[in-house]
Amino acid sequence: MSSLPIDNNIRRLRFEHGEMTQQGLAEQVGVTRQTINAIELGKYSPSLDVAFRIAAAFGVRLEDVFQHDGSAQDSRSSPR
Amino acid sequence: MSFREKSAWVSFACLLLFTLGVFHSQHVHTHDAQGNDLITPLHLALAIFVGFIVLQVVLHVIIAVQSPKDARTPKDERERFIELRAARIGFYAVVVGELIAMGAYHAHGRINTMMWSVLFAILVAWLIKLGSEIVFYRRG
Repeated sequence: MSSLPIDNNIRRLRFEHGEMTQQGLAEQVGVTRQTINAIELGKYSPSLDVAFRIAAAFGVRLEDVFQHDGSAQDSRSSPR
Repeated sequence: MSFREKSAWVSFACLLLFTLGVFHSQHVHTHDAQGNDLITPLHLALAIFVGFIVLQVVLHVIIAVQSPKDARTPKDERERFIELRAARIGFYAVVVGELIAMGAYHAHGRINTMMWSVLFAILVAWLIKLGSEIVFYRRG
């Protein structure tokens, strides 16, 4: 279950890229497998740099990988 | 379990042993029947410190051999973030510990008590930092 207001399609994109493993994606992006797993499960929000590298690894745009879930924002982070 | 998490477990276990060893060494009889020093508490503490370093190195070599690729990979941003969060918690622990050590000095007026309190605070804060790292790694 995602605990951050950012959804992602990494699992689906890995499936569409020939069941790419988390380790394979991690090596392409330059992070550990555990970090890819944490991002995929929504437990960790990557930096823009890593987010762009994940998108590049799949050959898609950033917004095809990550979507911001505005409804999950709490009151502290809502725009004033 | 990643290399970094194993490393945090190893460091935590070694430091816990070191902490217990150093404080226990102050109660060990270090005199022979004639009252001559066999080994001073300071030398015993230094021996425990050397043992701590050797144990850390040996255990880290063992876990690095088990996952050499993981061990060679530099820390990524999530691992650095976990380390920073844990260090922040450790910092608060050391500040509280030092304040308690100062209080102990005012209460007892013995510099020896303060020295041991400060050392204890540093070691406990370090344990809290490593424990926090383990918790953050476990959470994902």
